[in-house]
Amino acid sequence: MSNTPIVQFQGVTRVFQQGDIQVQALRGLDLAVQSGEFVALWGPSGSGKTTALNLIGALDRPTSGSVKLEGKELGTMSRRELSAMRRDRIGFVFQAYNLIPVLTAFENAESVMALQGTPASERRSRVMQLLEDVGLKGMENRRPHELSGGQQQRVAIARAIASNPAVVLADEPTANVDSETAEKLLTIMAKLNADHGATFIFSTHDPRVMRYAKRLVGLVDGRVHTDVVKEQGADHHPETAAHPA
Amino acid sequence: MTGPNLVALAWRNLWRQKRRTVLTLVSIAFGGFLAVLMTAMQDRSFADFIDNAARFGAGHVTIQHPEYRDRPTLNRTVEGTDALRGIAEEDGRVVKVVDRTSGQAMVSTAKDSFGAFFIAYDPELETDETMEFTQGLVAGRLFEKADDDGIILGHILAKNLGAELGDKVVYTLTDRKGEIVSGMERLSGTVNTGAISTDAALVLLPIGNIRNVVGYDDHESTQVAVFLKDGRRAPSVRDAIDAKVDDTRVVLTWDELQPEIKAFVAMKIGGGRMFEIVIGVLVAAGIFNTIFMSVLERTREFGIMLAIGYSPRQIFSMVMFESGFLAIMGLVGAVLVTAYPYWYMHGTGIDMTELYAEQGGVDIGGVGLDPILRIGIYPENAAVIALAIVIATLLAGVYPAWRAGRVDPVESINLM
Repeated sequence: MSNTPIVQFQGVTRVFQQGDIQVQALRGLDLAVQSGEFVALWGPSGSGKTTALNLIGALDRPTSGSVKLEGKELGTMSRRELSAMRRDRIGFVFQAYNLIPVLTAFENAESVMALQGTPASERRSRVMQLLEDVGLKGMENRRPHELSGGQQQRVAIARAIASNPAVVLADEPTANVDSETAEKLLTIMAKLNADHGATFIFSTHDPRVMRYAKRLVGLVDGRVHTDVVKEQGADHHPETAAHPA
Repeated sequence: MTGPNLVALAWRNLWRQKRRTVLTLVSIAFGGFLAVLMTAMQDRSFADFIDNAARFGAGHVTIQHPEYRDRPTLNRTVEGTDALRGIAEEDGRVVKVVDRTSGQAMVSTAKDSFGAFFIAYDPELETDETMEFTQGLVAGRLFEKADDDGIILGHILAKNLGAELGDKVVYTLTDRKGEIVSGMERLSGTVNTGAISTDAALVLLPIGNIRNVVGYDDHESTQVAVFLKDGRRAPSVRDAIDAKVDDTRVVLTWDELQPEIKAFVAMKIGGGRMFEIVIGVLVAAGIFNTIFMSVLERTREFGIMLAIGYSPRQIFSMVMFESGFLAIMGLVGAVLVTAYPYWYMHGTGIDMTELYAEQGGVDIGGVGLDPILRIGIYPENAAVIALAIVIATLLAGVYPAWRAGRVDPVESINLM
């Protein structure tokens, strides 16, 4: 693992204006994530998990402070640069309805590679392998409405990892699936992390996700409250560790 | 291929809501159908109307004495009409050039007298195209040569005069010297032009007889009438002929000679254009609504697309491709919907004879309307309608497409 953080927050604040009220989602967040980590950001609603993911994902800009991805400052980038950064360096898995409904599983999974201009033959071999890895072999030509929620999430995971991003961001990826499916998704992501060295950062409430995570970052009121790196093989549940208030 | 296939994506998006897409296409096709029908009806009726005006008057383009328009007396003539006809016939847009003499006259029978308007023509030069109203012969016969015997009257004038075929009819007019002269012929025919005011005043005479009565030579008349394939070309043909004739003659277009008809045509065209614009705006509003709804429904999807790396420009292009497909398919639909009705109305038309008869004929400025309602569109107007459909559909897509590209991923992804 390199010592240079792949993601780095330094004194990040993010303030939202809601009518006359200012809401402080992040209040001086400091955090560094190394390449290859499998990190869960956890905490109660309003703790700043999703805001932090949005900033890492180049979907939003901080009010103050610095957010760097692979050493590049995201806050000063133009819309076009941010768009290119998302396309080339970031993979996304959202809670649900991740996929483009008119594209097949294969086409969805290859879409980011297509945006990058990867040749079709290369896309095909890469995506077919990934779909097999996530257990969707034989379902390549199905449209999202022909897949279950869990299968759709697997396609989203394949799409997120297909383009070899610096980091995969997963915003509560198990929130809308049953326990069995959640376990399968987590197993797949853990395997992709292990096999491909892909960096995963989750936001979650789900204890199952935290069980799989190798590092648990607890957020409270927009700041890091706990940051626990689990020993290999340990089932480190936050209930047994320092719990955010 | 490399890069996302935005065209395929747009095509598939269009068919996510089949019913809505089909309804939109139907509205575009129906709008196109209405626009073509309206324009074709207008084009055909005005082309016919202008041609009729030219026939009743003195052609689409007229060569005459400079003062004849303001003072149409028989001493204001053009001479050397054979040479003038030759000049006009050099132009490829010209189909026929004829001599005509026209003016005011008094016609009398043993029973009554009426003021009338006469047209003296050369039956050997004229054709059905230039003298189509003689096809409305009610009784008797037409002239066969320039010095034929007889006189033809509008059927209402003949009735008012109490004249039957073979009866003596005396016509009195002022000759070129300002003296009153008269001729006598037997009634050889009556015509129904469909225009009441014309049928109550029209007198047709062979031009040779008039030349003898008023003292013209064989190549002299009040007007040289130039008929064109397409009446809309009158201004340019006028200019071309005008450049070749001297100042003792003027060259005028049909609408310069009949400004009341020009005003009528302009008013009707203006009204027609307004109707077409209203149709266009309604159809465009429908298309806009469809595309905009479809964009609003996909806000979250656009957010996801932007998040994973689609650029705003790619999203904009994709929605514009959707508009483009609607435009092309709508255009094809319009052609399919319009083809048969157009073909039928162009060839067969609707017979309005009975309706016109109930009204005793229909005319504007003394020019009768064809009782068979037919349509025919100028190719350039058809092209304008096709282009308008495509442009209106594309324009209707611009704002929704722009909105789609401006979606905020953070806000839209939270929409569940």
